[in-house]
Amino acid sequence: MCEFCEKFGTEDIWYLDPKGHGRQLYRKQVAGGRYVPEAISYRQRREELMGLVGQAHMEKDQAKIQEYSQALDQLYKENEPCQVVPLKDCYKLLEYANPIASMSCICRKQTRALDERNADEYSCMGLGTGMFKWERWPERYRGGVQFLSEQQGKEWFDKWDKAGMVHMIMVYGTASEGRPFIGGLCNCDYPDCIPLRIRLDYGIQHVLLKGHYVAIPDYDLCTGCGTCVQRCQFGAIKMEVTTQKANIDVFKCFGCGLCETGCPVEAITLERREKYPALREEW
Amino acid sequence: MAHQRIEIDHAKCTTPYACKKCLQICPMAVFGVAPMKMEKFKETDENEPGAFKLRVAFGDKCIVCNECVEVCPVHALTVTYA
Repeated sequence: MCEFCEKFGTEDIWYLDPKGHGRQLYRKQVAGGRYVPEAISYRQRREELMGLVGQAHMEKDQAKIQEYSQALDQLYKENEPCQVVPLKDCYKLLEYANPIASMSCICRKQTRALDERNADEYSCMGLGTGMFKWERWPERYRGGVQFLSEQQGKEWFDKWDKAGMVHMIMVYGTASEGRPFIGGLCNCDYPDCIPLRIRLDYGIQHVLLKGHYVAIPDYDLCTGCGTCVQRCQFGAIKMEVTTQKANIDVFKCFGCGLCETGCPVEAITLERREKYPALREEW
Repeated sequence: MAHQRIEIDHAKCTTPYACKKCLQICPMAVFGVAPMKMEKFKETDENEPGAFKLRVAFGDKCIVCNECVEVCPVHALTVTYA
């Protein structure tokens, strides 16, 4: 079972529980603590640990890699876990969340100094009441934000999905009533995306959990065009030389659905991970 | 064990967010840049010296191609493998 679903006690997928999107939900204040933008009160520790993990990898010191990776994993688990979400669930999230606003991506800003200055460029999305406070921290929201209607949000997601971006939902700690504080829905690309990179390159699981789905190909329909191979950012799909069909390694699949939305003959379907006993604990 | 070392001379590299040359040329996206101050109601000026700081985020991915060293307009970077 997905540990978020377990933690938040939801019957189905945790982020599709309408109770997690109430307007009244706001991040729970820590007693005596001061509100810090982006839930970055632990940021220093995170960067310190990431530095240590990187250093340990550089020195190829297995003991240190394990020690610091575990600490970083725990830190992400408690503070800012993300999970991969397919396009169809992004649509549903747009129905539940209010308000929704597009804004600049903080990862591409940090890793490539890409300054997204206007609505055409914004590739990240903020969800929930926190967005009403964006003007307090213009450095985080460089170039401003654009509030979107549900329909505009769907078109915006279509654009980024078509471009080949993986969607992920971001949680910033706990909100009132023990619910997750769902703060963002992002369009992500390796290597610019920091969560994608930390999960794929350093194996830190809780920075980004796999989604609730896996992609299953229909070999009768597959024409072997290779579009899915090109769209997969997780290295889960290869062209099987002997059959000239797409072969999907579902253990590597994160369930982002980019292969499904890109397939010209609809040969790929997203199935629930729980349907396959051996994949139930693969997050 | 021999490994990569990327040295940044912060006295020379003062406006990395405005310059962004090394950040964008790196084939392995090794660098990171962060604002040094977050002020309420104010966007940080990318041309203000010291307002942003360049750092090595994923140093173990560096392949020592020296593209960043060559592109840096203020010669602030040194990359070695020893």
